[in-house]
Amino acid sequence: MTTLFVALDVLREAASRRWLLALFALIAALLVAVGLSLEMRVVDGALAAVRLFGEEQPSVEVQSVEVALRPLFRGASFFIFYGGLFFGALVTADFAPSLLAPGRIEHLLSLPVRRSSLLLGTYLGVVVIAATAFLFAAGGFVVVLGVKTDAYVVELIYAGLLGALTFAALYGAMLTSAVFVRSAAASAFIGLMLFVAGVVASFRYQISPSFSSDLARRVFEAVSMVVPPVATVGNLAMEIAASAPVDTGGLASRMAGMVIFGAAMVALGIWRFERMDF
Amino acid sequence: MEAALEAEGIEKAFKNRRALTGVDLVVPRGTCFGLIGVNGAGKTTFIKTLLGIVTPSAGSIRVLGGAPDDVRVRARIGYLPERLALPGAWTATTYLASIARLKRLADPPLEPLLARVGLASARHVKTRAYSKGMKQRLGLAAALLGRPDLLVLDEPTDGVDPIGRAEVRDILREEQARGATIFLNSHLLSETERICDRIGILHAGAIVLSGTMRELATSHTRWVVRFAAPRDDLAALGFVPRDDGAHTIEAEDEAALNAALDRARGSGALLTALHRDTRDLEAILRGEVER
Repeated sequence: MTTLFVALDVLREAASRRWLLALFALIAALLVAVGLSLEMRVVDGALAAVRLFGEEQPSVEVQSVEVALRPLFRGASFFIFYGGLFFGALVTADFAPSLLAPGRIEHLLSLPVRRSSLLLGTYLGVVVIAATAFLFAAGGFVVVLGVKTDAYVVELIYAGLLGALTFAALYGAMLTSAVFVRSAAASAFIGLMLFVAGVVASFRYQISPSFSSDLARRVFEAVSMVVPPVATVGNLAMEIAASAPVDTGGLASRMAGMVIFGAAMVALGIWRFERMDF
Repeated sequence: MEAALEAEGIEKAFKNRRALTGVDLVVPRGTCFGLIGVNGAGKTTFIKTLLGIVTPSAGSIRVLGGAPDDVRVRARIGYLPERLALPGAWTATTYLASIARLKRLADPPLEPLLARVGLASARHVKTRAYSKGMKQRLGLAAALLGRPDLLVLDEPTDGVDPIGRAEVRDILREEQARGATIFLNSHLLSETERICDRIGILHAGAIVLSGTMRELATSHTRWVVRFAAPRDDLAALGFVPRDDGAHTIEAEDEAALNAALDRARGSGALLTALHRDTRDLEAILRGEVER
């Protein structure tokens, strides 16, 4: 129960932070801009013409809205997934170090709250914030494009959920790094490093042969096996958003890997946190 | 009397230094105990070991009959850290409501509590606009939530104005009157002297002196003596003149004291008053630190 109270406090704190509200305002502004700049003429469920920022798009063929908009949903998913991870890592980096700040953590530790609850509550709160942002952006695109075309493609929501799950894995590492060094900058750095490393790890089989040294190749393969495959999941999110068929078994194993990575990172953070003096 | 705090042989070593070198201390329930010492003596580290925030390297601690890391024990403790960091975007009411939830208190009356610490008019102001003294007052309110059995206060009047200090003193007296034990760490020795009925001096990581204020302040070897008329020749007999016309004399026991007085009377001096010398807390602390 106290874990939930801590998580709710994280949400309250987030609601009072201007830059976090600014992020949501930015997403909303972007959605409004897309809504206002994109004009689509739909006749009998088929897309007849598209105008973007007032310019007629010449290459539009008359075809089903769902089919015609697939590239758009792919692009939206790309924006939501990668933009969400990037900005999410930056915007949420301060939460755990703020909780662990001198003068605050001592007081929290004196309360009848287990240390694990403090950390889990913070993790849960931040992940809920990130998931809300992902779903807000994804849902916004669904609504904006739905209003324009009468085709409400909810698959974009699934893409948003994949982004939230990937962020949860990355934030596990960010949280744990904050326990070790209590720095927002270090936490953000770890998040962004993992983000980039996750993109690289997604292409491990293509990159691996380029290593001339056998040892270097083995090290790369070992490290990239542990890192969450961000780009792989990102591509799956885009495929889902475009209603393309995906390998559900592969998707499930990727997601399980994300959950295991995030849980392992949080467990490491709790293990360290339980043994720390403040 | 049952003890609120029992520390035995508490040691704490950090990487480069030994903060606590063997603290033995018992604080009876219902008392107001003041811990004093110079900077770096280990006071804050000791307080943190009492609360389970710092794990001792050796020794044992019992707080309110249990272990400091037991959440049931911590539910009965109110703590004000030395430098309380508050979420800047929260108001006093939001902050206290959060602490109340974490203490699992069902809908405690926050407005009277804020009024009690003098923050009623600032309850809707965001804490980032608070002065140091206001933050301390809010921290005290958080510590008082739930009527704890033990209040551990680290520099509670730091940054608080003189009127506020008097208010804090009144609150602490009220808390003690209802049965709470108060463990106070303050650099303001006059405050400690006025509030606390028991004092402990922590020096170089160990309690070097502990007892009631009366016990500590009263010297066992130094006496103040008044004679009917000032006599310069008494200095040769061991009587040191003071600015107020009295003399002091060091005497290991009553026999030595009487022997000295006999010598003075033998020289013609007439004794009019005699009492043990007393020192204030500052003098006691200096004496222990310089020993």
